[in-house]
Amino acid sequence: MILTRQEEAMARGENGPGIKRCMDILVKFGKAMGAERLVPIASAHTMPAEPPELLRKLTEGVNATGTFTTLHALMDAYSPENCTRMGQPEAFVREEGERFAQRREVYLRASFMQTYTCLPMLVGNLPRKGELVSFIGSGVQLMTNSLIGARCNRDGTVISLASAITGRTPYYGMLLDENRHGEVLVRFEGLDPDSLTKAQLGAIGYHLGAVAGSRNLVIEGLPADMELDRLKYLLAPMAVSGAVGLCHIVGLTPEAPTLEAALGGKKPAQTVTVGKKEIGQCLGQYAQGGPEVDMAIFGCPHCTVTEAKYLAGLLDGRRLSPNKRLWIGLPHQQYKLAQLMGYTEAVETAGGVFASSCMAAIPSAQLPEGVRVVATNSFKSAHYISRLSKGRVKLLVGDMDQCIAAVCGETWRGGQTA
Amino acid sequence: MNLKGRVISEGNAEGAAVVLDSAFSWIGDFDAATGNLEVKGHPLQGTSLAGKILVCTTGKGGTIAPFIAYQAKEAGKAPAAILCDNADPILCESALVIGIPLLDRLTPSPVKSITSGQNVRISGDEVIVGS
Repeated sequence: MILTRQEEAMARGENGPGIKRCMDILVKFGKAMGAERLVPIASAHTMPAEPPELLRKLTEGVNATGTFTTLHALMDAYSPENCTRMGQPEAFVREEGERFAQRREVYLRASFMQTYTCLPMLVGNLPRKGELVSFIGSGVQLMTNSLIGARCNRDGTVISLASAITGRTPYYGMLLDENRHGEVLVRFEGLDPDSLTKAQLGAIGYHLGAVAGSRNLVIEGLPADMELDRLKYLLAPMAVSGAVGLCHIVGLTPEAPTLEAALGGKKPAQTVTVGKKEIGQCLGQYAQGGPEVDMAIFGCPHCTVTEAKYLAGLLDGRRLSPNKRLWIGLPHQQYKLAQLMGYTEAVETAGGVFASSCMAAIPSAQLPEGVRVVATNSFKSAHYISRLSKGRVKLLVGDMDQCIAAVCGETWRGGQTA
Repeated sequence: MNLKGRVISEGNAEGAAVVLDSAFSWIGDFDAATGNLEVKGHPLQGTSLAGKILVCTTGKGGTIAPFIAYQAKEAGKAPAAILCDNADPILCESALVIGIPLLDRLTPSPVKSITSGQNVRISGDEVIVGS
């Protein structure tokens, strides 16, 4: 690998032992991936779940990250302000609290921005088309490539951390033009894209991820003005059931003004159609329990202030039934805005809790005691909560209205298809 | 018997082989607290990887895996080295951050030529398989 003079000095340790360790990992990793050089990145986004000792080692002698760096949602749904109201087990809260305090010391010293959200573009980390970044989180990696047109590999936690600290990343994979064209073409059959619910969009994404594997997708026939609050439910599951890094939405993706541009002038390797049958099959995988529901979870990917407003409307004058729970993943900056707008009161009075934490990677031991059935509008949440509990917690996917009704005294009315 | 391959993370190591004839995931296939393989229904279910030479086809699974590998290493429960046919990015990252040897593109294929329990010694780009 060819390094610049400055990078060579960093690798020799002239900028401290932390930078040296990061460069060592990046160079060896880059060689394994076939990268010829490192490139500067416009910004980074890292996972606030580091073993504290590892974080200290990689930041030893580092006074500031090498580029603007935001932090992902808090993992295991840990939230320093809210864990008591969320009903999380005491031992977990104590242990994670200690680890969190140790990490936070480093974040403050080295200016990792404590954004705690999986949607960094909402809170000040918005790259431009064509810029190179290293972001953690399979969902935001896919959204960055597909909706913003900035370029991002499917980096793991350590590569994104080393890239943030050095401000550089290996130049390979999705950063290169030749790896960004669509390979699997998707068309809809018998569906009205404008009236698809978020749960149905999630089902489509979950189906397409399994079909595509790690190949790039191209979807034709979606409205070009589809908003982020709908797109995120379609895209995130593709990187859960599969390992999709880029999904061109013709007319909406910056690199896909036309189908020809999305495909790079080539023929697709495969063409698939999606209809009611595929949506029904995916919803059927998460119709595991009921009609009694113990808990509703939203915010995977994180909710926005617009969804907080919608929830306030749904919960106005209602109360959660005794022993029922409602968690909502909302970035703490958007929470502040929702509070100013008067959207938080109805939700909190009803018994719901907003937290700037991850609503997918929740091991069952970190859920409140007695939770056996969880309803969510997110396929990503359903997939991970189900697997992390090894099937002990049963999952239901439906829309926000259905999930809320099921924790407010009504029984589950799921099973809709299209 | 000797195998030769590509060194992704360098170092020397020696130990008993644990051969998984499939892709390995740090999440789901492995318990970082005990060091045991947790592949449901697999004959090696419950086998410890601590200090062993893990042989697998490739890696798979979530991006948080390098942190899991690090926790296992700190607890003394990580494998001593990994040999595979083709290393995926997450396996590379994990081996590099915990500083254990990782070799891939080996000839002959380690999954086909090494059996569990055999002694394996790694020296540079060479893998020496004893009895």
